[in-house]
Amino acid sequence: MNDLLIAGGIGVAFGAALECAGLGDPPKLAGQFYLRDFTVLKVMLSAMLTAMLGAFWGGRLGLFDSAAFYVPDTYLLPQLVGGLIFGLGFVLSGLCPGTSCVALAGGRIEGAATMLGLLAGLLLVGLAFPAIESFYRATPYGPLTLQGLTGLPYGVVVALVTVIAISVLAWIAKREARP
Amino acid sequence: MKWVRQLGISALALGLGAPFAGSSFRAPQRGLDLDSIARAIDQGSDHVSARQLAEWIRDRRPGLRVIDVRSPAEFRDDAIPTAENVPIDQLAKSHFAPGQTIVLYSQEGAHAGQAWVMLHSLGVTQAVFVPGGLADWREEVLHPSLPANASTAERAQIEALSHYFGGSPRIGVEQGGDMASATQTGQRPRRRGC
Repeated sequence: MNDLLIAGGIGVAFGAALECAGLGDPPKLAGQFYLRDFTVLKVMLSAMLTAMLGAFWGGRLGLFDSAAFYVPDTYLLPQLVGGLIFGLGFVLSGLCPGTSCVALAGGRIEGAATMLGLLAGLLLVGLAFPAIESFYRATPYGPLTLQGLTGLPYGVVVALVTVIAISVLAWIAKREARP
Repeated sequence: MKWVRQLGISALALGLGAPFAGSSFRAPQRGLDLDSIARAIDQGSDHVSARQLAEWIRDRRPGLRVIDVRSPAEFRDDAIPTAENVPIDQLAKSHFAPGQTIVLYSQEGAHAGQAWVMLHSLGVTQAVFVPGGLADWREEVLHPSLPANASTAERAQIEALSHYFGGSPRIGVEQGGDMASATQTGQRPRRRGC
């Protein structure tokens, strides 16, 4: 019960942050795909940066055990196909699952339409699961991480990702400053 | 714009400091901690009865994860409800969060006991196993024989649990010669396997 309350609180905060960033607005999200609007990239990069630095330094300072974090397994081929389908739905509707909830809460009808499609898709996949299960479990690689793939120490990967993310963010800021 | 720049600079500082900060993981606990294993076995905190597990599943115990360590084919054939299949060769690659209660079971318990030692050596200390495995589940939960000396309330409890999982208690099994003597001495007949 307590866990549910905490999860609910985090979820509300997450939704509020998405709304503040303007991610409840489908044209804004679709704009990312046409390179007209870089809000999605900015939100994603800054969120990843914050989470990565928090996870690294929190673990380093002993606030929690970083080894206990759940890293999802990689199934290369099914996840590539799934990612493509996801992206197609994303650009078509201008919303992803999280932002569709935010859009609906913000009173946008597109949010309801996207969530309806999302739930219908879940149902379809659930019904078709016995037929697609072998593909669902194809090309398993277990939990992959950048440091595991490159063999670099965790701290070096953190530094590299930070430099890349900050450079991209600075580039976007410069681009937006231009009239 | 100014504080955005400051945020960026502090993020950069934290990121660039990371390579020199050492490991963010606590000292790995790999390796066998024989003392703690012996203590757990001695105190019986290494296992859980099938009936107890059934009550946990029914009561939706928070953080409960039931792991079937048999092969996927066996798992498809028959399994304990809510269980997930993690064959023994996949076990070391799996992740178990500290807050979870991991319950391992196999066909008759031996593999689950071995899996328990494997997980212990990986530092997963919150695991237990079902000593009689799926065989116990069938005998104690799905089709339990109601003990003759049990109170009505106790019988009702066992019956309710069995019905909850779609089984039915075997009534009147006690009259069989072998079973009867076993019931009288308060001991159950030797079960198959481990």
